[in-house]
Amino acid sequence: VPRVKRGVTKHARHKKILKAAKGYQASSGRNYKWAKEALMHAWSHAYRHRRQRKGDFRRLWIIRIGAACRQHDTNYSQFMHGLTAAGIEIDRKMLADMAVRDPAAFERLVALAKTD
Amino acid sequence: MASKLSHSIGTHTRLWYLIDARHQVVGRLASMVALLLQGKNKPIYHPSVDTGDHVVVINTGHAVLTGSKWDKKLYRHHTGYPGGLKEIVAKQLHQKNPTMILRRAVNGMLPKNLQRKHRMRRLHLYPDSAHSHALNITHQLPGPCPVFKTLSDYSSEEITSFPDIVTRISHL
Repeated sequence: VPRVKRGVTKHARHKKILKAAKGYQASSGRNYKWAKEALMHAWSHAYRHRRQRKGDFRRLWIIRIGAACRQHDTNYSQFMHGLTAAGIEIDRKMLADMAVRDPAAFERLVALAKTD
Repeated sequence: MASKLSHSIGTHTRLWYLIDARHQVVGRLASMVALLLQGKNKPIYHPSVDTGDHVVVINTGHAVLTGSKWDKKLYRHHTGYPGGLKEIVAKQLHQKNPTMILRRAVNGMLPKNLQRKHRMRRLHLYPDSAHSHALNITHQLPGPCPVFKTLSDYSSEEITSFPDIVTRISHL
């Protein structure tokens, strides 16, 4: 095998890592070794938080729906129970969106949930 | 019709609430105030944005602690020096500064993050009914505990015309 000097390939690999670490503070944005370390943490956080994101948003929607319900004299648990009893299957994402953007429709849903 | 225009000017403003703490239990009032300071009563709530409102609490000097807490509840802090644990009973703390008990209660009920300091700055406590925010107040809210009338709140006609239950039984 002919003699290979590692400069070109090493430079390409390092450039890829440093590009991914653009904007990182101090050495982590400049130095290959620290950038690699920072990126390993970042990727691990991103992996974990992509799964947590689903739960985080559901929690936020529930807080918002609860706040909106309390403006209409009920609470989140009674409201959701009333909705399932009425056969309404609108998901929490849409309910939270309606509470902010379409309060009239949300009020109608609260009324429906309150009927026996 | 759903649209972004259903937001009014009032949707994102910071409101000013006035609450009277007379005859209100400290913990229950503090819990309600903490929710208002965080803005968790709003459908636009988000943890990264401070959606909280201002809360003015008057008559904190007349708030209530149940049981024997006035004599037994201890407020502790450590000065950092050895043997520097300071303890003060609720009664004495109240005499020193009548707003401290409610302030510490609300402080403990807010999430312990960087927003806590800003939220506490929006809490305005006054020991009596005098406060300097009359121009700002948007809503007055009732406290969480029902306020009952004391004997002095009834007029003398109502007291004399009240049915005489005790003397009717006493002849037995």
